Order: sequence, then structure tokens, then C-alpha cells
Amino acid sequence: MIEIGNLEFTYQNTQKTAVKDMSFKVKEGEVYGFLGPSGAGKTTTQRLIIGLLRNYTGSIKIFGKERSSWGKEFYEQIGVAFDFPNLYLKLTPEENLKLIGAYYKNGISDIPAMLDRVGLLPDRNTRVESFSKGMKMRLNFIRSIMHNPKLMFFDEPTSGLDPVNAHIIKEIILEQKAAGKTIFLTTHNMTVAEQLCDRVSFIVDGKIVVTGSPANLMIEHGKRRLNINYIKENAEYSEEFDLNQIGENEHFLNIIKNEEIRTIHTCEATLEDIFIKLTGKNLQ
Amino acid sequence: MRLLSAIWSDIKFQAKQGFYLVYLIITIMYLILLSMLPPNVLTIALPLVVFSDPSVLGLFFIGGIILLEKSQGVMMAIVVTPLKTEEYVLSKAISLALVSVFAAITITALSPIDNVNWFLLIISTILTAGLFTLSGIMINAGCNNVNQYMVKTIPYMLLFTLPCFSLLGFEYSYLFTVVPSVAALRLLLGAYHGIVRYEALGLTLYLVVMNYLFFRNSVRIFENKIVYQDQKL
Repeated sequence: MIEIGNLEFTYQNTQKTAVKDMSFKVKEGEVYGFLGPSGAGKTTTQRLIIGLLRNYTGSIKIFGKERSSWGKEFYEQIGVAFDFPNLYLKLTPEENLKLIGAYYKNGISDIPAMLDRVGLLPDRNTRVESFSKGMKMRLNFIRSIMHNPKLMFFDEPTSGLDPVNAHIIKEIILEQKAAGKTIFLTTHNMTVAEQLCDRVSFIVDGKIVVTGSPANLMIEHGKRRLNINYIKENAEYSEEFDLNQIGENEHFLNIIKNEEIRTIHTCEATLEDIFIKLTGKNLQ
Repeated sequence: MRLLSAIWSDIKFQAKQGFYLVYLIITIMYLILLSMLPPNVLTIALPLVVFSDPSVLGLFFIGGIILLEKSQGVMMAIVVTPLKTEEYVLSKAISLALVSVFAAITITALSPIDNVNWFLLIISTILTAGLFTLSGIMINAGCNNVNQYMVKTIPYMLLFTLPCFSLLGFEYSYLFTVVPSVAALRLLLGAYHGIVRYEALGLTLYLVVMNYLFFRNSVRIFENKIVYQDQKL
């Protein structure tokens, strides 16, 4: 779906090389997470793929054709939700969707159903200017998928949303994936990445430092240990055990059999731990 | 058709932002002022008022529209749709030309003046609106706030309006007709005071060519400054 080869990009005015020798592939039907701190080059890479930046070196192949050879018809096939809401404030949600929707050849999905899905149906006739940031983000999100694109770019899609609405957005992303759509997700929210992405790449200073599935990365970079928290004679204890041959560890088996267990966790790394370990940087 | 959708979108946006209300108020004010003028002054004042509408007002309106679209961020939403820059620019020019034509016809029809060449009035208003709207896009593409736009607009405004005084007539003053705004005003005056057919045709052709050149340049500037973000923000 997307094939990036030795991509480099330098901003003309600052001469800052924001993307350095980057190569990766996004397969059809996967959710691909592009993770990294602010200023790492995530948005620049996304904008290069979308076609908002020119004069790159290397290659960006998308739908089997070099990005620079695509015309505006390219946008019939992709949907983009930026990390800030960009809506006509004096118009209602329905008018916003219809107005932008009129630019697509294949028309758009059922507007009331889409508004209902993200909890905006009761406000369908309210001007967007009175919306909260969360409401605007939800409207922004459905606008990016209303024309049934094959490939979607979401930049921090749950930013500014409460847990309930963030859950709805994540559900829609997974529904789109189930429908065979490809999703390029840019975020610094590790929980969102863990929950949604089939594969993730970590970006630092314009370079990819590691790529893999979140589950594999977490196991690979974690400790093969198990942490158990239990109560014994009214006191709380916490112990760690090696996972190798744990079934033969008498002390562990004794705790499991005889004590009141509060929690048991394997010690795989979180994506955030891996990021810090590999880069020495925080994700904010 | 995408262009029609874009024009409809622009009309809706302009209406909701209150631009048409401002137009209506200004048109009523013009009508009141014109009704107070004696007939011999009216024959000069009416074309100038009609000319100022697509030119001066048009230049500020397009600035306001683009700045509003920029501040609401919708420009970013538009550039990732299949709408071409040519269609975006054209729809702005057409939607504002429609309002200008409507205002020109209303003001002229409600003023006590005879022998108006309505066809020429409509053509000259469209071509004038085109010139100024496209100029507004070229000026505005690099601006991020009203102050910047005002500062950049004033020199252009002077460049367009000062040569119009050449219509008062002096030796070689016709040479100033090379300035598109002078050609536009000459054509518009022709709609009220009469004009030789060949001159009208020549001015129209010249203005069509200038509109086309302004259009191509607006598209180029708009793409460089707004669509493509090759500069680090």
C-alpha cells in the first residue's frame, strides 16, 4: 500500500533535515503506528506521503505509483484527520460534512448515521462554533472517513477526547481495519498504539529506530519475569520470579496454593519503556 | 460537478459569515447617497460607485474570506480533498463576481438613469471582480492576519486606483489603459455613457487575457504559499 525508500526531506527556509534516510512499508489492511516525540519527524513524514510537501529525495510509492506522479484524484482514495479540528465554525456538523463531501466523486456515507455513531446527532443543527474540542475532534474524524477511502491518515485521533469518546473512535478505527482499510496512525500515545496497531515504528530525529508488532516488541524488550503480590498473615508481600521453569519453582507454587493473591503480572515492557530504552528520550 | 459544489460552498460560507449582510447594507447606503445627487453628478458617481463595489470592496472581501478560512483551519481540510487549486480559486472569483453583478444591477436599476447597456455592465463587472478577487488571493496567500493583509493591500490598491484618474483626460492618458483597472473602469463607463463597439471589444479581450494571467498567477502563488508547506512553520 505504502512503500517508502531512503526518504529524505529538508525544509527550505530552516535547512532542517526533518526526515533522514527513512525506509518502511505499510501493508494493505494493517494499522501502522508512527510513534515518536514532538518534533521527531512524524508529521513531516505523514505530510510527505499525503502530498503536502514536495522536493523530497528517495521514493514514496503509494497505491503502486510514485507520490509525485499523483494528481488531485489521489485524494478520492485517502482520508486525513489532522490533530487539530479544522471545521467551518459558522456551519452545523451536517453542513460541514455536506460541504466537504460535495468535492468527492463517489459521494459520502449516511450523515445522520455517522453523527449518531460519534454521539453528535442531537447537535446536528447546532453551529460548530459552540462545540467543545472533543466534539470538534469527533466531527473532524468522521469527515475523514465519510467518503469511504481505502487509506486513512489519523494524527492523534483521540487527542482531547474523554475515555468514552476515545473508545468510540478506537472502535471505528478497528471497524475500518476489519473492512480491509489501511490506517496510518501518527501518535505519541502509547496506549492507543498498543490497542490499535498491528505494527509500530519508533521515530527519533527523523529516523526509524525500531519497527515491529507491539506484542512482540513488548516481549522482546521485557524481562522474562513474573511479579506476584499477595497477603500473608495480614501483611502484603510482593515477589518476582523467573518465568523459566516457573512450574517447578516450589516457593512460587506454595504462594499460589496457600496465600491470598492480589495481583500477578508478567514483566513485559510497555511501548513507552521500549522507546525510552532505545532512544533515551521521553515521548512527550 | 466539483466547481459548482465549490461555488455553492463559497456562497454558503460567505452568507453564514455575514458578508452578504454587509453587502446589502453597503448597497442600501449607496442607493441613499446616490438618490441625493443631482442628475449631472449621478451620471459620473453611479459608475464610480458600481466600480468600487467589485474592486475596493472585492479586494477586502476576498482578504477577509481567505483569512477566515485560514484561521478556522479549513484550508487544511480543503487541500486534502480532490478539489483542485484552479477550482478553489475560480469558485472564489465566480462567487464574488455573482454578488458584484447582483449589486451592480440593483444599484443601477434603482437609480434614475437611462440608456444603460446592461450586457456591458454585467461583462465589465464580472471582469473587474475577477481582477480584484484574483489580486486579493495573490496578496493574501502569504498573510496570516488582517494587519499584514492591510499593509500589503494598500500599495496594490494605490497601483490600481491612482491610474484611474487618467480617465479625466490629458495628453497620452489613454496609455494608462494598459493598467487593467483603468481598462475595466473604461469599459464600465462605456456601459453607462456609450462606447465604440471595437473599443469595447478590445477592452473586453484585454481584460479576459489579464484575468487569465491573474488566475494562473493566483493558482501558482496559492499552491506555493498555502497548499505546499515546504517551509518549516
